[in-house]
Amino acid sequence: MGSFKLGGMTLKSLFSKPETIMYPVQERYKPEGLKGHIAIDVETCILCGICQKTCPTGSIVVDKAGEEWRIDRFSCVQCGACWRACPKDSLTMENTYTTPSTSKFIDTFEVHPKKPERKAAAETSEAAAAPKKPVMSIEEQRAAMEAKIANMDPEKAAKVRANFEAKIAKLQASE
Amino acid sequence: MAKSTIIPFGPQHPVLPEPLHLDLVVDDERVVEAVPQIGFIHRGLEKLTETRDYNQFIYVAERICGICAFGHSMGYAETIEKLMEVQIPERAEYIRVILHELSRVHSHILWMGLAADAFGYESLFMHCWRLRERVLDVFEMTTGGRVIFSDVCVGGVNRDLTPEMQKKMLDVLNGLKDEYATLCNAFLNDSSVKSRLVGVGYISQESAFAQGMVGPFARASNVNNDVRCYGNGAYGKLSDFQPILDTDGDCYARVKVRALEVLQSIDIIEELLRTIPDGEIAIKVKGSPKPGAQASNTLEQPRGECYYYAKSNGTKYLERMRMRTPTSMNLAGMTTALAGCELADVNMIVLTIDPCISCTER
Amino acid sequence: MPLQTKFIDYTIDDITRVKEEKLADGWRAVQILCTNCDDGLEIVYTYTKGDVMENYIVHGVTKDDVIPSISDAFIGMFVFENEAHDLFGANIQGIAIDFGGKFYDLAMPEPMTVISAEKQAAKEKAAKVAAAKAAAEAKRAAATDAAKDEKPSIEEQRAAFEAKIANLDPEKAAKMRAAFEAKLAKLAKEGE
Repeated sequence: MGSFKLGGMTLKSLFSKPETIMYPVQERYKPEGLKGHIAIDVETCILCGICQKTCPTGSIVVDKAGEEWRIDRFSCVQCGACWRACPKDSLTMENTYTTPSTSKFIDTFEVHPKKPERKAAAETSEAAAAPKKPVMSIEEQRAAMEAKIANMDPEKAAKVRANFEAKIAKLQASE
Repeated sequence: MAKSTIIPFGPQHPVLPEPLHLDLVVDDERVVEAVPQIGFIHRGLEKLTETRDYNQFIYVAERICGICAFGHSMGYAETIEKLMEVQIPERAEYIRVILHELSRVHSHILWMGLAADAFGYESLFMHCWRLRERVLDVFEMTTGGRVIFSDVCVGGVNRDLTPEMQKKMLDVLNGLKDEYATLCNAFLNDSSVKSRLVGVGYISQESAFAQGMVGPFARASNVNNDVRCYGNGAYGKLSDFQPILDTDGDCYARVKVRALEVLQSIDIIEELLRTIPDGEIAIKVKGSPKPGAQASNTLEQPRGECYYYAKSNGTKYLERMRMRTPTSMNLAGMTTALAGCELADVNMIVLTIDPCISCTER
Repeated sequence: MPLQTKFIDYTIDDITRVKEEKLADGWRAVQILCTNCDDGLEIVYTYTKGDVMENYIVHGVTKDDVIPSISDAFIGMFVFENEAHDLFGANIQGIAIDFGGKFYDLAMPEPMTVISAEKQAAKEKAAKVAAAKAAAEAKRAAATDAAKDEKPSIEEQRAAFEAKIANLDPEKAAKMRAAFEAKLAKLAKEGE
């Protein structure tokens, strides 16, 4: 009779510790790799936007111009695709769940990516060089352009030339 | 001669776990005919391939069903790997099969609990679900999720099984065996359970084959449709695999097949954990499948054989992705089993096919 | 031995013949699926026996084509035939348990045949890429021709140019047109 043994098991569980826990008071043990929520390290993020492209639910928005990284935690499914795709490892999966809320909101993080040294240097030199440009006469400019397109295939060269002429015409008109 | 009546049964009914509607033509207390109807939860997941690329669709695929989530993502990934002609690392194949068998363990124990609930054995139901919770804890530890795992990717798996995880997994499964034996004893030897199950919803072997039944439902009628026998992936590395068959074809046989399959799955996991090779767990899959390429694949889900079909149009977005889930094949068999049964047995018979209507409709 | 899958093309007339062959030979029907293609539906019938799985494909099925049902031999297929009818609008006749379009309770008829905006955009993009490739090919051919012949007239040039920019997005096209006109004006001035 199967029920007797099962009855014994049931009786035993009457006197032992319950399997369930008193949830809000008592927190459950959280294993290391639990998929709780996505966290971002704003220091290392470069706002490349790969996470936005990989996200299957479209809950991540990377705003390069506004220097912001936004996540809609209510549509995030904790798949971890962004975290695995991140080239700088700035995203991590924390093992704590997000808390419930009475209204929906979007988490926004301000990210100010550090510009690489070299690029910054190039920018300053460019800025210095920039004012020189208009000083070049039209003839000089044309010569430079012709030199540039000399090696291109004739069709493309013609196109570039046309564009250039149009630009010159416009410049002259504005003067 | 009593007048025959039609009783609408479902889609919302206390004993039905899923939204299935049945029109039961009854003659007194006896069911003459049953006409199933589905279509209450069609979500159009197959159409989502148009807006999700093949890497993203894996997260949609595993949301087809909450119980066979791992199986669906595995079957989908295998199909895409076939489509793109990629060979995944051996270790990834092993991990996939181990976790897939583990989800079979939890699916069958869950089903046994539901069955106990259906025939009114409440404490058995509680014990089954208590045991299942331990298996879910193993999933939580290895993949980070309890229901949706997001562990499979096209080209392998996302997380490795570390030696500590493997040890813990074995400990949990070994600890499970004792209590599980007590449950099986209650299911298979108890006279009150037997009186509810034996001889109910009989399907003969010929009828089961003609209706194309799959999974434990068919195996209880001695039809071997177990696609694990063909040895796809790491199933081919098993030293011996014999599907569990029964000749009785009634509800009791279906419970028995599932009860034994849990033990078989635990054996498979133990064997694979002993022989798991070292190495990579995933390879990078790049590019898009060739235009017009097609691939089809099958996988033995806890509920039976599942068929996958993928067609490419040369971009990252698939032209067509199709999953034929086991329950849709078993609906015809269910109507046969229901014809001629007592009205009180209807819920029992519907449960023994282990219906998953959300899978069926996607 | 892993599962062997085959894809075989056949026509609507073969459906009944193959069904009878498979039934007599002890095969099992696995499923029926539809794909919505440009030239109509593509219907795949799958049968299996042992470790062989054969997919029979019918191409270009329109709504006027009458498709014979296979559910008289394989009763389990009624689910998929009703599904093909409800979701794709395939005209399947003689289904064993025919729900007459009420198997799926849907808000709209034939939802799987709707071509979504995303798919349309993707399709157009693919067509544009193909057209651009063809145009480049034609242009190369034209360029070699032009080298031999005299210079084409302005009208001809303009026509060729318009054809070239037809598939581009309007903003870019406008910019290119302006450049082109400037070029023509310059040419005309030189000519005078």
